[in-house]
Formats: sequence, C-alpha cells, structure tokens
Amino acid sequence: MIGASLSRWTMSYFAAALLALLAAETLMASGYGFPFAELRSVETLFLVHLVALGWLSLLMSGALLQFVPVLVARPLYSDTLPLPALLALVAGLIALLGGFLQLDGRLTWAMPLLPIAGPLLGVGFALNLWNLGRTLWPLRGLPLPARFVVIGLLSVVVTVALGIVFTLVLSGTTTNERLIQLTAAGVPIHIIAGLGGWLTFSAIGVSYRLLAMFMLAPDVEGWSVRAALSSGTLALALVILGGIIAVCHGLELNTLLAAAAVLGAAALAVYVFDVARLYRARKRRHMELNSRMAGLALASLVAAATLLAAALARGSLSHDVGAIVFLIAFGWLSGLGLAKLYKIVAFLTWLECYGPVLGKTLTPRVQDLVAESRAAKWFWLYFAAVWLGTIALMLDATAVFRAAAAVMLAASVAIIAELVRARCLVEVDAANRLPAGAHRPRLFLCVSQQT
Amino acid sequence: MSTDVKSDLADEVRNALRTVIDPELGFNIVDLGLIYSIAVESDVALITMTTTTRGCPATSFLKEGARESASTISGVKTVDVTLTYDPPWTPEMMSAEAKKYLGVADGVGW
Repeated sequence: MIGASLSRWTMSYFAAALLALLAAETLMASGYGFPFAELRSVETLFLVHLVALGWLSLLMSGALLQFVPVLVARPLYSDTLPLPALLALVAGLIALLGGFLQLDGRLTWAMPLLPIAGPLLGVGFALNLWNLGRTLWPLRGLPLPARFVVIGLLSVVVTVALGIVFTLVLSGTTTNERLIQLTAAGVPIHIIAGLGGWLTFSAIGVSYRLLAMFMLAPDVEGWSVRAALSSGTLALALVILGGIIAVCHGLELNTLLAAAAVLGAAALAVYVFDVARLYRARKRRHMELNSRMAGLALASLVAAATLLAAALARGSLSHDVGAIVFLIAFGWLSGLGLAKLYKIVAFLTWLECYGPVLGKTLTPRVQDLVAESRAAKWFWLYFAAVWLGTIALMLDATAVFRAAAAVMLAASVAIIAELVRARCLVEVDAANRLPAGAHRPRLFLCVSQQT
Repeated sequence: MSTDVKSDLADEVRNALRTVIDPELGFNIVDLGLIYSIAVESDVALITMTTTTRGCPATSFLKEGARESASTISGVKTVDVTLTYDPPWTPEMMSAEAKKYLGVADGVGW
C-alpha cells in the first residue's frame, strides 16, 4: 500500500512534545524548580516530569512508532493504537503535574490526581509497548540497533511501574511498608531506568541506524555494538534488578551504582567509538545539519560522563548531580532529538506531500524543504546555552542559569519555527511547491495518500 | 518486436526513470544505481530495483514512482517493478555523476 510506512500520529507526538519542551524552558527561565528550589522539591518534580515525560518520552515514542519499522524493515503492527496511547499519555501527564501541584498546595481540588496519573500513563505506555512489541516479536535474530530499543522498552516498563508505585505512596493511596521503602530509596533506580535505559538506550539504537542512513555510511555491526549492548544491559540490570532487591532488603545502593557506572561508562565509550567510526566512514562528504548537530549532542554525552566520573572521584556527586542530569537531558537527549527532528520532519513532510506524485512530475528534494544555514545558528545558540547552563549549575550561579534557560527557550522557538516552515513548504520554490496531485500537509498529522 | 526496438524502449524507460529522485539523496534513481535491470518483453516493462537501505520509508513511493514514469513511454502498456536486496546496494553502484554530486570518491563501496 502506498504510504503505509508513514506513521500517521508521529507528527502529533512531536507537536505535543515540543509544547512540553517550550513549557519546561519557560518555567526554567522564570526561576521555577531546581536550582531555584531543592532537588527533591515538588517544583523540581513538576519540571523534571514535564521534561522527561512531556518532552523526551513523547518525542521518543513518536520517533519509535516511525523508526522501529525502519529498523526491522516491516510495517508497524497497528496504526490505530498510537492515538489512544497519545491521549492517555497526555492526560496522564496533566494529571501527574496536577497531582504535584496538589502536593504543593497550589491546586486545591477535592479529587486526588496522583492515583489517576499513574494508571493513565501506564495505559499510554502499555499501548505503545504492545504495538512496538508486536512489530518486533515475529522477527528472530533482531538487528543490533533494534535490540537497544528492546532494552529501552523493557526499561520503560520498570520506570513506569516504579512511577506508579511512587504516585500511590505519595498520594497516600497505599501504606504498604515495602512500597514506602521503595519510594524512599528507589528514586535513583527510577531516574537511571528512565534516562539511561528508556531514553538513552532507545536513542542509541535509533542513532546507530539513522546516522548511517543519513550520512551514507555502512552500518556498524559486530563486536563493538555487541559489547556496548551487553555492558550497557548489564549495567541496567545491576541498577534495576539488583537495586530493587537491595532496596527491599534495606541494603545500601552505592556499591551497585558504582559497579553499574563502570559498566555504563564502558558501554558509552564503545558507542562513542562506533559513532566516530560512522562519521569517518561516511560516503557523503558534506554532512547535513542534523548529522553535524548530532555530533554536538554526542559531545554533550561525553562531557556528562566525564563530569560524572570527576564528581565521583571528588565526592561531589550530591552537588553536581543536577548539572549532570541537566546536561544529559538537554545536551544529549534534547540536542539529539532536535537535530534529528530537523531531518525527520522534513523527510516525513516530503513523503507525505511529494511521495504520491513521484514519477508523475518533477519533485523537490528533502533538502529543498529546509534552510540549513539559517537553522544552524539557532542550533549553535541552543547548545551554547545548554553548556552555559551546565556550568552555571556547577558554580551555583542561578542568575546565569536563568539567562541560559531564556536563551535555550529563544533558540528552541526559532528551531520549532524552522520545523513549521518545513511542514508548510515555505522554503520550496513557489513554482514547484505543489505540483498537480500533491496536497499541502497538515501541521500535526501525517496523512498517507493513496494514488 | 525486434531486439533493437526492445533495446530502444528499454533505453527510453531508463531515461524516464531519471525523473524519479531518491528524496534523501536528491539524485535520480538510475544514476544512484538503484535500478538493477530493465527489460521490455512485448509491451511489458520489467524493472528490477532496490533502495539504498532496507526498510526505507520511501520504498513504496520509489517503486510506484518507477512504475508511473515507465508507463509514460509509448509502447509500454504494463510495468512490473520488482524490489530486491540481492545484491544489497553500495555507493560503488552510483554513476560518476552521482558520486560527484554527493562527494563520494571513485572506487568506494562499503
């Protein structure tokens, strides 16, 4: 079927995710949450979940619905499930954020929202997991990048399950002693499973394939990818399985976390080595903006790992953890996400608009839908602001952090404007913009056209 | 139909396929080496093609685009497009012109 490979709701996931990014950056620029409030404060919880769930998880979910089929060269199991999943995720996020405001006393609504939020988010993630799982399941011998995604999907199960436990305990719905114990000591497991397992592992899997595809480089396969996969998986297993057992028995987590950090660092080192090989082996000598900016995101990941090692060596982790998590969330994951969105939105828009008239008339290229030289400066500004914000957090310079967050917001607005321009075909020469048979794409919805 | 006429028709089909671009690489599918063979038997054009990567979201559009453009050739009534990944595509299969456009050095495969 023509256009069957376009995921109908991916653009809607991206739109919701970008709104959450702008909201989070606005809050940071206005002095809400860490570092203006305590790391464990309700304000920080609100901000962190707006970023992790609203921005990064919706972005990753939308991207996986489009790219898991590319990874395994077979269509998505269901094109119907992504919409109810998106609705459940957005409703669950709103309920969660509302629940935090109830804890803070800023929202006085009789109905407790936290116990509703957990199940709603659980349903949303479960629908997408089922859909992606059924797409992957029939294959035996999954390609290596897809195995990273599988680990990412298993990690989100743990992250969400722990999150549901936390909402039940925090709202007073349960007084089970084990669950209270898990809530008190299990936050590092929740964070590592979410940022390290779900988001980073999935990003690594997708990036192995996308970087090779977009730079015209041979796929990286073999011992190094297997080494990254196995040491990273072992690190996650130590944290998640070992961590939960340790917490339930009242044991200290530090030794486990240190062992996992060594394994995780080894996995990241091999991944960085592989990606450097991909860049060197690329056949396309002129790199597109998305590939150049992915390099800056990767540099942020390396910097975050270096800062983590330095903080562990100096014994300053409790002070520096906010800066490190910020750099992972905004330099690595958000930076990579924005860089790849810049390519993916143009590519999907091209497929939707010009795919159906291919062979019937002359069509523009994907590159004609964007203006890279103009967008490049917004990306540089974004990364510069993230790096400045990281330094500000390490030096406790809150005013500088606030200024950096404001610049991040401005750069993000400009990048989003570039995405909207691509979606609206503004950059395409007017004479070739809408040849006979082509339809202007809708902003938030991919419509597969039959010819 | 004589062999020469069939050969001319195959050439015409090949030229028509040059109007179909790979959206990502921005170059036509013939010079990118994505067309493995073209044969015309009676009034049926048989095209064997590939894509640069397995699972490419543009695959169905490229196949349909090849069919559409080939069917514009007079003397071709039916077009049969077969997709194959055997052998898998490599940059070595590109024409000199496509390699120059993408900045790929000569003699370079995977």
